[in-house]
Amino acid sequence: MKFAFNVSLKNIRRRPFRSAALGALVMLLTICLFLGAEVILSLQGGLDAYRSRLGADVIVTPSSASAHGSVDDIFLQGITGNYYMSEKDIKKAADTDGVQSISRQFYLTSAKAGCCSARVQIIGFEPETDFSVLPWIKESYSGEIRNGDIVVGSEISVPSDRQIKFYGKKYNVAAILGKTGTGLDNAVFTGYDTIKEMARSAADIISRKEFSGVNIDNTASALLIRVKDGYDPQTVADDINIHITKVQAKASKSMISGLSDGLSGISGIIAVLVGAVWVFCFIIMLMVFALLSNERKKEFAVFRIIGASGKMLTAVMAGETAVLCLAGSAAGLLVSVPLCFPLSDMIHSSLSLPLLMPDGAVLAALCAGAAVIPLITGVLISLASAVRITKAETGLLLREGA
Amino acid sequence: MKLRAEGISRNFFRKGKNTNFFTAVEKTDFELEQGCLTEITGHSGSGKTTFSNMLCGLLTPDSGRVFLGDQSLYELDDRKRSYLRNRYIGIIPQGQTGLHGLTVLENVMLQAEMYGSTPDAREKAVSLLEAAGIGELCEVYSNELSGGELRRMVIARAMMNDPPILIADEPTGDLDSETTALILELFRKYADSGNAVLMVTHEKEALCHADRIFCMEKGILSSVPKK
Ligand SMILES: Nc1ncnc2c1ncn2[C@@H]1O[C@H](COP(=O)(O)OP(=O)(O)OP(=O)(O)O)[C@@H](O)[C@H]1O
Ligand SMILES: [Mg+2]
Repeated sequence: MKFAFNVSLKNIRRRPFRSAALGALVMLLTICLFLGAEVILSLQGGLDAYRSRLGADVIVTPSSASAHGSVDDIFLQGITGNYYMSEKDIKKAADTDGVQSISRQFYLTSAKAGCCSARVQIIGFEPETDFSVLPWIKESYSGEIRNGDIVVGSEISVPSDRQIKFYGKKYNVAAILGKTGTGLDNAVFTGYDTIKEMARSAADIISRKEFSGVNIDNTASALLIRVKDGYDPQTVADDINIHITKVQAKASKSMISGLSDGLSGISGIIAVLVGAVWVFCFIIMLMVFALLSNERKKEFAVFRIIGASGKMLTAVMAGETAVLCLAGSAAGLLVSVPLCFPLSDMIHSSLSLPLLMPDGAVLAALCAGAAVIPLITGVLISLASAVRITKAETGLLLREGA
Repeated sequence: MKLRAEGISRNFFRKGKNTNFFTAVEKTDFELEQGCLTEITGHSGSGKTTFSNMLCGLLTPDSGRVFLGDQSLYELDDRKRSYLRNRYIGIIPQGQTGLHGLTVLENVMLQAEMYGSTPDAREKAVSLLEAAGIGELCEVYSNELSGGELRRMVIARAMMNDPPILIADEPTGDLDSETTALILELFRKYADSGNAVLMVTHEKEALCHADRIFCMEKGILSSVPKK
């Protein structure tokens, strides 16, 4: 069958326009399959990362936080602000029935002015009680976070001396976190003592009104609560909302489910679109192959006259298609693989959804899938027309071909 | 190797006065003799191509059998029949039958390479093309040839495997008289070296080369005595 493959290659080379058109069709199909699947997986990955990061059952923020965006945004987008609750409210929340453990977070926005290297969100957490940030940090950094150390999100640029300045003081970058696809990639994390020190400097340097009446030593911007077994997070959140007027509590499940509903809606639409494109390409390929094999009846009849069996003719036809499909897929991947990074960014910024690109192995599998599916489609279709051609009597084919 | 037809006939569906079919070839017995140049003449539409296609194994007869040696061609499976066609029957079909994806040389060599390559295929193909008078066109793609050049390429292709049987359907139809003479001489020599050659033709001058002449008239084949 070596001759069949050789003839396939020669046919492709001698018909550059026909070959290019078929290749372009396959390329389109590959691009759709690859980018579609990549976006769906990224959305899924973003949701998973977000879900595992959150960990809290109930989240409590001061009522004033809503001026900066909804509670969801804090965790989804890392949009925080300088808002603080009183020691009394924190204690009340901790004493609410059903609360098992509580971890405080302290938010601070760095200034754009010369006292700070960059304007970022700084998130302080309590290493002793934290169950939200630390596990995530552990994924990329197992060392200790000492006083004065900071850990930065993947999007923050770290100078070569590994020092970043906030409110006049330099802090040592201990680690860079893995990408989450959320606004948290632009945030800086540090221990509670360090952030309190930053907040004090901030109050000194720019004496922001946010700090008036705030006892920096005993405050928090958010409380992450885990509820005891048998308690419904929603009930606990309601309880807090009823009894403490200056805070808002939200069960995180409602945040996630709202988000995952939105995500699965979008994933569904993309899947349907990819499916539609596939069906569309399938039909076009079917028509093109039917037309082509009709056009080429005479050529196929000549193969038969020379002595090619039905099988050999099928091999020539399928070989031609396979080569074209592989070339088209390769071109499609060459276009879409570099394109998937800016596309992710675009979706991330325009839809404000957490997006986490699948890792290398998954991307490689996607590439293989996006190449193999059009290949199988094309070869199956060409086999179908080959069956039709080889069944026909050569003497009749010869007359029908132009 | 002998090619023999026993009572082959073929109908086609076609609207007629009181029927829906049309008999292109009536039941015919026929035998191709080795070392003999046989010719079939006849009017256009009389069934010559239908008949020769049935002999080649390209068109299944409605009745009767075609034997290549002692094997009944149409009772073999496709693979076997295709192989026999490749090795033992050189076919020059009516009309233009070049494979335009291949060069002239590749077209001719394909006949030999289809079932395993032979070491001297290239030299063989070149010498056949030279004998047909188009040796200088080896590397040209077949769609760049004139009708007559293409026909000569197909003749070289048909002779590539030295088939004991050569069947040509109007091989000299679009050639000038000089080339026609060259081709007829090729066929004559091929028959003289012990092969069976069948030629369907209109050419008057072709008839003088023939050993046996038949005439096809409305699907009925009859022998014509040689003058
Ligand atoms: N596939 C077909 N369907 C219907 N009719 C056919 C078919 N093939 C041949 N015929 C008819 O059979 C008759 C014989 O055709 P054939 O091609 O054998 O003629 P021919 O003697 O070779 O003619 P020519 O000298 O013009 O080549 C013609 O009348 C033709 O119309
Ligand atoms: Mg004819």
